[in-house]
Amino acid sequence: MGLEYKFVLWNRYKKKYDLVIAGFSIIFLLLFAGITLIVNRETTVETLVIRGFGILAVVMLHLILVIGPLCRLQPKFLPILYNRRHLGVSMFLAALVHGGFSIFQFHALGDTFPIYSIFTSNLDYFSLSNFPFQVLGFFALLILFSMAATSHDFFLANLSAVTWKRLHMMVYVAYVLILLHVVLGAFQQETSLFTIIVLGLGFVLVVLLHLLSARQELRADKIQSVETEGWFRVCEVDEIEDDRAKIFTLNKERVAIFKYENKLSAIHNVCKHQGGPLGEGKIIDGCITCPWHGYQYLPKNGQSPPPYTEKVATYDLKLVGSTVFIDPNAHAEGTEVEPLIITK
Amino acid sequence: MKKQDEFFVPYISESLGSKTKKAIRRLVWTILFAIIVIAGVFAFTQKPFKNGSFELTSETRLTGVFHENPYPMLRVKVADDSYKNILLLGFGKSSVNPYLAVIRKDFETLAGKELAIEGNLIYYNGKTLVQITSEEKIKVMGNSDPNILPKKEKVGKVTLTGEIIDPKCYFGVMKPGYGKIHRSCAVRCISGGIPPVLAATDSNHNLHYYLITDMVGGAIHESILPYVGKPAEITGIVETYEDWQFLRINVEDIRETGEASLIY
Repeated sequence: MGLEYKFVLWNRYKKKYDLVIAGFSIIFLLLFAGITLIVNRETTVETLVIRGFGILAVVMLHLILVIGPLCRLQPKFLPILYNRRHLGVSMFLAALVHGGFSIFQFHALGDTFPIYSIFTSNLDYFSLSNFPFQVLGFFALLILFSMAATSHDFFLANLSAVTWKRLHMMVYVAYVLILLHVVLGAFQQETSLFTIIVLGLGFVLVVLLHLLSARQELRADKIQSVETEGWFRVCEVDEIEDDRAKIFTLNKERVAIFKYENKLSAIHNVCKHQGGPLGEGKIIDGCITCPWHGYQYLPKNGQSPPPYTEKVATYDLKLVGSTVFIDPNAHAEGTEVEPLIITK
Repeated sequence: MKKQDEFFVPYISESLGSKTKKAIRRLVWTILFAIIVIAGVFAFTQKPFKNGSFELTSETRLTGVFHENPYPMLRVKVADDSYKNILLLGFGKSSVNPYLAVIRKDFETLAGKELAIEGNLIYYNGKTLVQITSEEKIKVMGNSDPNILPKKEKVGKVTLTGEIIDPKCYFGVMKPGYGKIHRSCAVRCISGGIPPVLAATDSNHNLHYYLITDMVGGAIHESILPYVGKPAEITGIVETYEDWQFLRINVEDIRETGEASLIY
């Protein structure tokens, strides 16, 4: 969490994370270039750069897309998600090198403005095999740019979390555009079955992990709550672990009920920072701590501890015997609700 | 009931537990392995590049007799009774004609004149081209007799299968300088004044190159752009001019085959 905006709020995890990104990128580029020069030495530097950075960007994009569902399925991978934005910006830079070199190589120094040439040099828009695939890559690059340019808490706060999230969900549009860019472009000329299999496996991995993660979420959403006089019966108090929460879906909203210090409190499940699942978080130093980036909220009022200003909605709870009931009507964000004391 | 699992909070030192560390370490090794495999697969499976050359950083001085039929060339003597016709090209994706236009202001005609030219050589498979970067690189050395220039010899009507390429990229500037990936560039080059060339294969898979002109032997650029970079079958009249062949065509006689080109 940070109060003021800095370009990067460095800590040792971020430094280590970025070193791994840079190290792996260099290893990939050196290996690709080295093997190409050994087995296919008539290549040119431009071709090595365009191909090397293009493949690197696609590999990074797959990694970015699988991190989310992977963390849902196995929370031990959450530290990888923590700094995903740096991986996203790195991916954009790799894509920019690929796109920039390609635009210069194929469209510059001619009789037309290079960007105009991307759209007009090949007009077979109604042919599948001849489709102007560079247009698809160009639009994907624009989306990646808009995401990379706003990949900072300053934009997150000023665009609002919802708008920011919507903008960054465009990564799936970019992914489809990039897949089509590769299939209708490079794969029309470089027709190795092995590379097609590699990309196919990547696509299957992304889809499979998303489906498994969605199934897990749907299962949680299907937990039926019984309504009695405006209150929903949600669970037995012993079903919630200490300093942890259970998540329930009420009126299409996810609510997290936390148990801590022999008390119960309920808040809206969505973190105000990047929409992380607060109910998968933990009570640390008396605060609900988001599993994604460690944003904190006080359980009694859903407010971030001062001087921070984030707020989430709170809910009323009641205990009948050992059974927990919740009023599905949310209080305004940051409204104080007296924690429910667990009596035995 | 207290859950004893680990919970990572980036700003809390030592919150990265041993089980989490182990899982992350395994994942990182898996990613590294995947990266090595992917780099290998994509590097090993690339189609071979042609051994064309582009001498970008060095200029060569050439002296020969200028002619254009219709594309500007320099006829250079390489041995007794042996000549090479070097195709003259401008900088980037452009024709040499703007530079020649400046030179022409001082001379009635350039055809048959001896020129000294400095430029970057491009060569592959017996063909040589030269990139000239300004009119200052062209010097008129004196008069020559235009009648010593050979004439085109008509061979006959043929149907050829291949791909229309821009010779600048194909013969050395880009690798690969043909096919779908390169099509936009080839379109820009030919649109900018680089002569279109048909790279065609015969029944023995040998490659032959034909400078394409219209049916009266004039330069052709814009009208051929929709067919550039696609496997095609073209019927036209072949003519030879020493080490080059020309193909007179009607653009309407180009038929896209939709099949993989053998020039790759």
